[in-house]
Amino acid sequence: MSEVTGLRQPKRASVDLFRKLGVEPVPDNEKVQMAIRHIDEFRFKVRSFVMAMESCVKCGACAENCHTYLGTRDPNNIPAGRVDLIRKAYKRYFTVQGQLFPGLVGAQDLDLETIEKWYSYFYQCSECRRCAHVCPFGLDTAEVTMIGRQILFWLGIGPQLHTATAGAILRTGNHMGLTKAGIIDTLEFLAEEIEEDYEGLKVEFPVDKPDSDILYIPSSADFMLNANTLKGAAMFFKYVGANWTISSEITEAGNFGYLMDQNRIQREMVTRLMEQATKLGAKKIVWGECGHGWRAAKMYVSTVSDLPASRRIPITHIHDEIEAYIKAGLLELDPKRNDRKVTLHDPCNYARACGHADNMRVIMNAVVPKGAFVEMKPNREANFCCGGGSGILFDDPDMYQFRIQASNKKAEQVRETEADTLCAPCSICKAQLYPMVKEHKLPVEVVGLVDLVGHALVFRD
Amino acid sequence: MDLIIGQVLPYLAVVVFIGGVTWRIWRWMIPRIVHNIALSPFPGSWSAAIVWMLWQLATFWNLLKFDRSLWLGAWFMHIPLFLMLGGHITAFYTLGLQFHLAAPGIITPKLSLNMSDWIGTVLGIIFLLALVYLLGRRLVNEQTRAISSASDYVHLLLLIAIAVLGNLMRLFPEYHLGYAPVREYLAGLFLFNPQPLPEHAIFITKYTLVMVLMIIFPFSKLMHSFGFFWERWIVNRPFAEPARGLPGARLQLRK
Repeated sequence: MSEVTGLRQPKRASVDLFRKLGVEPVPDNEKVQMAIRHIDEFRFKVRSFVMAMESCVKCGACAENCHTYLGTRDPNNIPAGRVDLIRKAYKRYFTVQGQLFPGLVGAQDLDLETIEKWYSYFYQCSECRRCAHVCPFGLDTAEVTMIGRQILFWLGIGPQLHTATAGAILRTGNHMGLTKAGIIDTLEFLAEEIEEDYEGLKVEFPVDKPDSDILYIPSSADFMLNANTLKGAAMFFKYVGANWTISSEITEAGNFGYLMDQNRIQREMVTRLMEQATKLGAKKIVWGECGHGWRAAKMYVSTVSDLPASRRIPITHIHDEIEAYIKAGLLELDPKRNDRKVTLHDPCNYARACGHADNMRVIMNAVVPKGAFVEMKPNREANFCCGGGSGILFDDPDMYQFRIQASNKKAEQVRETEADTLCAPCSICKAQLYPMVKEHKLPVEVVGLVDLVGHALVFRD
Repeated sequence: MDLIIGQVLPYLAVVVFIGGVTWRIWRWMIPRIVHNIALSPFPGSWSAAIVWMLWQLATFWNLLKFDRSLWLGAWFMHIPLFLMLGGHITAFYTLGLQFHLAAPGIITPKLSLNMSDWIGTVLGIIFLLALVYLLGRRLVNEQTRAISSASDYVHLLLLIAIAVLGNLMRLFPEYHLGYAPVREYLAGLFLFNPQPLPEHAIFITKYTLVMVLMIIFPFSKLMHSFGFFWERWIVNRPFAEPARGLPGARLQLRK
């Protein structure tokens, strides 16, 4: 709980940090006016935003389908209610009915108090888009959260976590602030681990190798928290004999710019990506396990980068490639090595934004024994978010409490499957679920999907 | 009264309705679809996307799947509403002979009139019940009440008033008004040859409320009837997957 506003808000980034990111925080007495100006500009730019503002009938179907609302029971966390935090002002300033009859249609002048609410509730939304999936019109309230966060960013309001992470991107090209020396060091260590665990198997982790055909983009969290995912990817590349590399300039599958500043930081990441891919001679970019970052890459790169045709390099996900190799019968996999009862958490951005519900299941069924994979309910596109989506992995006690609440639904789903392994192939899901399974006392191990692939691959030569 | 409600308001209502809807849609067309934010699974083609939209439209599929109790009210309100709109247009135009004219060999004029009466009556009752159910839901369901504003109730009450008046004329012979006098009056409006309003208090009240509805339509959430298509055009669209396979790898996918 913020002591000043009485709202649940994450710790704020400092003015200095904002200045480093090219934003001069707006003084309080100008914030409202500036926010209205930005809303006015967005309504001429982004159609999905305008439709969310103007087409909602307040039927309430989204309420019981939002894990954040289910966990907090706060009406401002009903997707339609959260959008109302902007919509009330939108109606007041930009619609005939809101100008003439504000009380009747629920229009309200914007004030600082509401902007503080934006900061609270747009950072409780995980942009998982389950509300868009269930809305009878498909209204995408994540678009409103994104624009809300963007305006807040321009006003100089943002969480320490996201803003500092964005700063790390500009400095190092990854969220964790890893340096090239650190990257090489970790990778050498991982290669040794593989050698020990898999009977002397020699796997290389090339870094910045010129004339590589494949540029692999791992999540930087894989270097610290999810090493098995990185190992699995390297083992897959070794198995198929790929000429691949990791770039020390863009060692990041995630894109925190997409989560708070799509104008500058997201672009910065994309620019770096394309420059490095061209420099290393890559013919294809293959993405690692990261949900929001994969959406930002798959669905946004073409429109964000606006590159000339000669420089467009195809981007696929490592799951796409593994699936294709499995379907072609080119991988020898021993499912018995993963003899565990496993359930699959569909990361929101995979299932609802990138069309991965099938490929994850093709892989899963190939790497675990028959009958070992149990679906949670609901699953695929209708699955619930882990509660940490869009990087709301805050550690301050109040927000941490919130993360536990927001994962209530997920805990319930996992418990019903009675699985001992929870596969969550996304770095943010993993970062959320590692502590959450502890807090909810779930007897499961959290793993990635590529981890299981690497473990099941049978090397013959 | 006859002049204002009977001869001026109808033209005003039509102009505001058509002009207002056009203006709103015009404004929706100005901002771009900036990125592809389609919801997956992606339809394979535009025709598949359109089939999906029409399926959603006809069945209210999302509500059926995710909020059954809302579906019950919503579907049984909207579908009779559309059928009755069609019924009003055809029945007044053909004086209740629409079914006969559609299938002259099978349906006699008398049967057509009976069908028109019965279908209209049944749909009108379902429509009213569904509206009352939706109003009740909005009041009782705590989440929906929390996000509702006064206008959400006003829209429902307006529709309920229209439905009640329509049902009164249908169900009670003493309030009944045949197709012919209304047709004569409406023909006058269409042909710019003014004819007096039928002297029938319930009809005039209902007619006025419908015109009020048309006037507020473009300035309210009722625009969702068009918004459905504009939003689904954004989120239900095909996406071309890049080809699979790792260039330069020792193991290659067969082409």
